[in-house]
Amino acid sequence: MAKWTELQDKSFLEATARERAVGIVDEGTFTEFCGPFDKIYSPHLPLMGEAIEYDDGLVAGVGKIGKKPIFVISQEGRFIGGSIGEVSGAKMVKTIQLASDLYEEMVSEKPDLPEEMRPAVVISFETGGVRLHEANAGLLAHAEVMDQIQNCRGRVPIISLIGSRVGCFGGMGFVAAATDVIIMSQFGRLGLTGPEVIEQEMGKDEFDASDRALVYRTTGGKHKYIIGDCNYLAADSIRSFRETTTAVLQKPMEEIETFRRIGSMEKIKEQIELVKLSVSLKPKDSMDVWAHAGNENPESLINMTLDEFLAQAKRLKA
Amino acid sequence: MQKEKVWDKLSTDTEERMNAANELFSDRKVVPSQNGVALLEAVIRAGDRINLEGNNQKQADFLAECLGSCDSEKINNLHMVQSAVPLPIHLDIFDKGIAKKLDFAYGGPMAAKVAEFLREGKLELGAIHTYLELFARYFMDLTPRVSLICAYEGDKDGNLYTGFNTEDTPVIAEATKFRQGIVIAQVNKLVDKVQRVDIPGEWVDAVIESPKPFYLEPLFTRDPANITDTQVLMGMMALKGIYGEYGVQRLNHGIGFFTAAIELLLPTYGNELGLKGKICKHFALNPHPTMIPAIEDGWVESIHSFGGELGMQKYCEARPDIFFIGPDGSMRSNRAYSQTAGHYATDMFIGGTLQIDKYGNSSTATASRVAGFGGAPNMGCDAKGRRHVTDSWLKCGAEFEDQAALLGDMPRGKRLVVQMQETFKEKMDPSFVEKLDAWNLAKNANLDLAPVMIYSDDLTHIVTEEGIAYLAKCRGLEERMAAIRGVAGYTEVGLSADPKETKTLRERGIVKTPEDLGIDRSRANRSMLAAKSVKDLVDCSGGLYEPPARFVNW
Repeated sequence: MAKWTELQDKSFLEATARERAVGIVDEGTFTEFCGPFDKIYSPHLPLMGEAIEYDDGLVAGVGKIGKKPIFVISQEGRFIGGSIGEVSGAKMVKTIQLASDLYEEMVSEKPDLPEEMRPAVVISFETGGVRLHEANAGLLAHAEVMDQIQNCRGRVPIISLIGSRVGCFGGMGFVAAATDVIIMSQFGRLGLTGPEVIEQEMGKDEFDASDRALVYRTTGGKHKYIIGDCNYLAADSIRSFRETTTAVLQKPMEEIETFRRIGSMEKIKEQIELVKLSVSLKPKDSMDVWAHAGNENPESLINMTLDEFLAQAKRLKA
Repeated sequence: MQKEKVWDKLSTDTEERMNAANELFSDRKVVPSQNGVALLEAVIRAGDRINLEGNNQKQADFLAECLGSCDSEKINNLHMVQSAVPLPIHLDIFDKGIAKKLDFAYGGPMAAKVAEFLREGKLELGAIHTYLELFARYFMDLTPRVSLICAYEGDKDGNLYTGFNTEDTPVIAEATKFRQGIVIAQVNKLVDKVQRVDIPGEWVDAVIESPKPFYLEPLFTRDPANITDTQVLMGMMALKGIYGEYGVQRLNHGIGFFTAAIELLLPTYGNELGLKGKICKHFALNPHPTMIPAIEDGWVESIHSFGGELGMQKYCEARPDIFFIGPDGSMRSNRAYSQTAGHYATDMFIGGTLQIDKYGNSSTATASRVAGFGGAPNMGCDAKGRRHVTDSWLKCGAEFEDQAALLGDMPRGKRLVVQMQETFKEKMDPSFVEKLDAWNLAKNANLDLAPVMIYSDDLTHIVTEEGIAYLAKCRGLEERMAAIRGVAGYTEVGLSADPKETKTLRERGIVKTPEDLGIDRSRANRSMLAAKSVKDLVDCSGGLYEPPARFVNW
């Protein structure tokens, strides 16, 4: 693998899960849990004659950003679409749990533990959700991950990074939505039902999954930023994602809480307002929403550079 | 007294046919689209030679549908002379018995179907041509009686604006009209005054506003995201070992990821080698989006294009010093002229292929696909009629040992003809073979000749991930074959190489590995590319490049 310094300028979109995991924390600080040499792989796939990976398509480990312990989870889309099965799911669950346990241990030893030393979790999503080959175990893992995320509320911040090829769909779309902060690049995609499945179930008139431009302006980073599903847009490099993550983690937990989409009466009211808006606005295209948010020439936002976009785009206010 | 001879049978016949269509016109030369089929049935006769415009880019698809809907009882046994047959409707016309014989240049996605129809006897093949060769025959023995063409705009007097995608239209219209034929145009829009007259109204007999704009294939768009590290390595080798070595200033790039990689290496590795201003100044080339970074970085002086590339229109218009722009401010492509430039005025052709045999003949044909040639053979050959001199042409000529064997002491130049190919393709299919699949195709499809894209006697260099074979420097076929074996890697052809012989060839500079060229393999990766995604290209163009939806991932 390339050196940490070389990884920083690497495209986040093109990076492997391991490159993202190593590059997102400080140089030389990453230690992997249950790595490929431990050969912990899916027990289900061999029964179906399917190929396995010795890391089950998920890289987990711990590193540091400054003085903060950072628990990293990074999904690999090149292995069965980054799908979550029994083993990759368990690695996710346990890694979040370790962060929570470490937090408890540190705070019980030192109740006034400075903010800059408190652990955090960073999840780099690249997944379509449940691995259908081991659907029950995968679904269960999703539930357990959600449980761990709830358990971390207000104690251990959880940051989502979405900027890889597969995007973040299916059950993992829910998981990402339940984390504290979402950072995307304009090449990232976030949603629940994937475009192909929508087309299959509702027809091509409802959603043409072969129209890549449509798919990206409905699920992509720019749209998610405008409507508030994503908090920050980063450039497509590991460096940019690391710097954005570092900046977020310098904020106190109370402020990080405000970035959430769900989790309080106030947030629920905001979501209900958005649902009302979608009923009254009846958007035919995401650009209708952008226009409603005050962008006079929504089409021009599509091809803008990131800097131009961040300077000009107006975001939806609930 | 001798009976007076009739010299205007063609124009009399044309007049009769046009009279039969009289009532189908709504205003001057305008025919409503619902009368399309009736118009063709009125002016076409069974057995006619028909041109249906369409190449590897734009397609007169509405008129093709109309022709396909004609009554095959009335209209049948047509002889189609057309650049390409890439749409399903092109083959349906044969399936329905409306057409019988085909002379063409490029099969595209329908290549397998063409082979199938040949076997089943649904289609009779005249010949597979290059574009320029087919155009030449329009003025010799394959002049169309009726041509069905397409344009962006037309007016009621028949004036056409073909603009950015002018492509084959002038050649077809001129050949047809000046032998008293009939020219029918589908246009995207009927207007009062066309933006620019690309085809004069006098050459056009009927204009139909089609229900949908004509189909346009973005064939020359390569997404930088799909360029591999190996392609970057080979691009670096070609830049240093061929472009830089010969100082190639006038050239054509084929379609494909190898040349896309080279285009994206110019502003990075090219600058590092100090080659700006020394290479790649003039191109006969479609407006490849991957050229944007090199153009923006000041490498390119001029580009003339065969056709327009979807999404590149605004960018080209905004760079009138580089592209060929009309007084109205929009580009005009022209396949015939660009092919002529590619044949006579370039010093190098470089592109990928599918198979190369042990002698160095290469082909994109497989046993079951009649792929055709397009324009590559006209550029991937030595133009024997060329008389003007450039440095790289002379340099390659001077080292071309086998040419001297026939010329005595008379100096002559040689175009660089370069094939780039990884030793193995997808699914571990070897690129170097004992015998080309083209031989099997010739048998399966009953062709007189195995379709060869580039013949070995024209080829001067092969680039693989193993190295560059400098074939022009070889003495005789045996040595040429040894040089090919030397870069053919682990294919059967490559494994038959004698290591001692390859070593001697390396010492003589006939085979050069990346190390021989002084290229550090560890640097050969995607980080060398000036743009890594289509979005990078959009950003680099300042938002002028508008990629088709299928290439958008943001």
